Amino acid sequence: MAITGRLQGRASRALLLIVIVAVQFVLFETALRTWGSSEAAPAFQALFTGDPHLGYRLLPGARTQFRTPEFDTTLVINSSGVRDDEEIGPREPGERRIVVLGDSMVLAVQVEFPQTFGELLEGRLNTPGSGHRVRVINAGVQGFGPVQQLLFFRHVAAAFEPDIVVVTIYVGNDAEEAVVWEPQLLGARPAALDAVRDTLLTRLRRLVRRSMVLQVLRLRAIEGTRIVSRPLGPPEPPLQSYAAQPVERIFRGIDLTRQAVERLADEASAAGARTVVVLMPARFQVDDADYGRLLEIVHQAGGDLQRDGATHRFREAFGDLPLPVFDLLPALRAAAPGPDLFFQQTAHLTPRGHEVVAAALAEFLRESGLADGGAPPAGR
Amino acid sequence: MVFNSLHFIWFFVVVYAVYRALPHRGQNWLLLLASYYFYAAWDWRFLGLLLASTVVDYSCARALDGSGTEARRKAILWLSIGFNLSVLGFFKYFNFFADNLHALLSSLGWRVDFVTIRVLLPIGISFYTFMTMSYVIDVYRREIPATRRLLEFAVFVAYFPHLVAGPILRASRLLPQIHEPRRISGQQVRDGLWLIAWGFFLKIFVADNVAGVANAVFEPDTTPTGINVLVGVYAFTLQIFGDFAGYTNIARGTSKLMGIELVENFRFPYLVRSPQEFWRHWHISLSTWLRDYLYIPLGGNRGSESRTRLNLMITMVLGGLWHGAAWTFILWGIYQGALLVGYRAGQGAEWFRRWVSGAGGVARVTSWFVMFHLTCYGWLIFRARSAEQVGLLTHSIFGNFQPGSVDVHGLLVPLLLHATPLVLVHAGEAYYNDVLAVPRLPVTVRYSIYAATCYLVLLFGNFGGAEFIYFQF
Repeated sequence: MAITGRLQGRASRALLLIVIVAVQFVLFETALRTWGSSEAAPAFQALFTGDPHLGYRLLPGARTQFRTPEFDTTLVINSSGVRDDEEIGPREPGERRIVVLGDSMVLAVQVEFPQTFGELLEGRLNTPGSGHRVRVINAGVQGFGPVQQLLFFRHVAAAFEPDIVVVTIYVGNDAEEAVVWEPQLLGARPAALDAVRDTLLTRLRRLVRRSMVLQVLRLRAIEGTRIVSRPLGPPEPPLQSYAAQPVERIFRGIDLTRQAVERLADEASAAGARTVVVLMPARFQVDDADYGRLLEIVHQAGGDLQRDGATHRFREAFGDLPLPVFDLLPALRAAAPGPDLFFQQTAHLTPRGHEVVAAALAEFLRESGLADGGAPPAGR
Repeated sequence: MVFNSLHFIWFFVVVYAVYRALPHRGQNWLLLLASYYFYAAWDWRFLGLLLASTVVDYSCARALDGSGTEARRKAILWLSIGFNLSVLGFFKYFNFFADNLHALLSSLGWRVDFVTIRVLLPIGISFYTFMTMSYVIDVYRREIPATRRLLEFAVFVAYFPHLVAGPILRASRLLPQIHEPRRISGQQVRDGLWLIAWGFFLKIFVADNVAGVANAVFEPDTTPTGINVLVGVYAFTLQIFGDFAGYTNIARGTSKLMGIELVENFRFPYLVRSPQEFWRHWHISLSTWLRDYLYIPLGGNRGSESRTRLNLMITMVLGGLWHGAAWTFILWGIYQGALLVGYRAGQGAEWFRRWVSGAGGVARVTSWFVMFHLTCYGWLIFRARSAEQVGLLTHSIFGNFQPGSVDVHGLLVPLLLHATPLVLVHAGEAYYNDVLAVPRLPVTVRYSIYAATCYLVLLFGNFGGAEFIYFQF
């Protein structure tokens, strides 16, 4: 009897604890949804939907207001699933279309749509008397690496009938992104068990992505488990893409990026479009103070940092591709003195940063003859 | 290795699992090895210093126990004190005195090219040298016998929960707990887990989050308005409490889990009404150490009033200097000494005694309010980067207050958000006059506080792994 009573007591206390934890979960979730401002916020997550080919993509027709301490923007996704306040529709006579693929640096949720470098580029290329109208389509999606850009072009953006496809490679993390998506690039079919696991993981991720509390707890758990692996080997210094001697994964990622870009250029060429590769640098490559801070962190972790290491490696990898490659680093570095080009917290381009990118890109497209439909320096 | 790191959490989980499986002697060996690993995780080179301190003071105490003549005993005592103070003086104060001497000679026009050496400060040196010194003094005074077991003494010195930031333990309290087999009760486990959780809350949620508010005000080359200085000083007042009391709580909590009871180091220090009370509630293990081994040997309050005042000033200035080799710490010690001397002088007036000790509501609130702000001003001196900054910030408070200029979003809101949960729990503990009141509350209230503490730490804690302020002392 006494044992049964004790067990009942423990069970009721456990139940009480579960109820309290659940009630407080709801309270914290509500508070975070009301006052929180991270990318885990429902206002931001409402922009995305699941996709069988891409994992996720921008939700067609979505519209939201995204506020953080640094910015407050209105985000509108058109029915084609790209950030634009107009529908894409069939190409009009005399219209030249440039589709800009990329990640968050292209999507640019930190600035209003007219301030994005895609829109600014469109304004710069539409000079009176040119005889044609240029339309630039912002096809950037948060978190998309090179392989997802290829898949997005194949399944979505090819239908936009582009004349030029701009592939924006963010040198800071695209090598690592490419490695994650290697099976999709190489077309490897997962084993049945892996497929079940992937489905469950996808569902779990979706659940976690919908809750701000779970998003934060997930980050804490990742940090917590990371230390378990440390006794097995020395910790890997951060910013591997810029390491003086990067781990093998980075070289693999750069090679996969090259393969993805090559395939994308082939598919674009088959659709009658030319491909341009644009290299987007990370903030610390432009901002000296940021560089100094990161250098110290990497040194403390026992690593070494080459400020332009990632850019050089990508340039080298694309060197023998018959595609024009444009590096934004010199233009941004030349404009660095003065107001910030990147936001301090999110490390994405400010409106001024977008202006600099748009001006540099417009000049490159004009000089290479691509803006007017002329022949690129080398091209498919 | 800092408590607020995952490294420590994994370290403790492994150590604790093995600890529970071992017999008593094995537990002591484990505690010693774990403590040396814990210390070596910072800098293994200073392990030699810890070992030297252990061996010298163990030997001195043994020699004291076996020595008959008073002269010989005194010589051994001074050998031990001399060793400890030399180690402390060299590692902690060499740079300070060398730099100041250099500056003084330069100001007199003497060009002196010092052979300068940059001496690194071994973590926790002030804590373990004070512990071993008090042990030898207690043996000398025949208050405790010298232990024969080197293993137990080595565990006493190096015991990892308190090694780097206290509390400063007395051998009379800890050595018997190391010597006797330990039994761990269910209440100890519950209290221990709560103390650990609350310690992490104080450090990660309160101290490390309000640190940004304090840092903004104490930045060099900034002259905030008085109201913003006040907000920054409130923030530092909370930060230093959260930081230090947080460390002590984790130390006490982990010890309870292992069946060892450490002394209470903080008892609502910001709710007191006089400077004398403050030192009975703030860093209790240091203030009692200073009282027993410095103030009383100096004569305490047994001489004339002026001699007592002098003793108080000497004790507090040395107490300030114990915190670090900087003029601001000396200034803080002088300030604390002056408060104690002033309080003693005020005791002569009836109205003052009634105001500070009376039970009336107005007297309680006003004397608390004044004492709290006197404490805050002390922290301004303590936190300032230089005596010049103390002057600038003081001028801002008294000469450029500008209440309308308060930085609501940058300073005030973050301070209030991170202070409110602490104040609520603290008020409850103070109501029950028990720093362990929470585990004794009704189950629904208790579970709600446990859950909220965990959520607040996990969701809003600053996991940057900032070191504890008191490590530098």
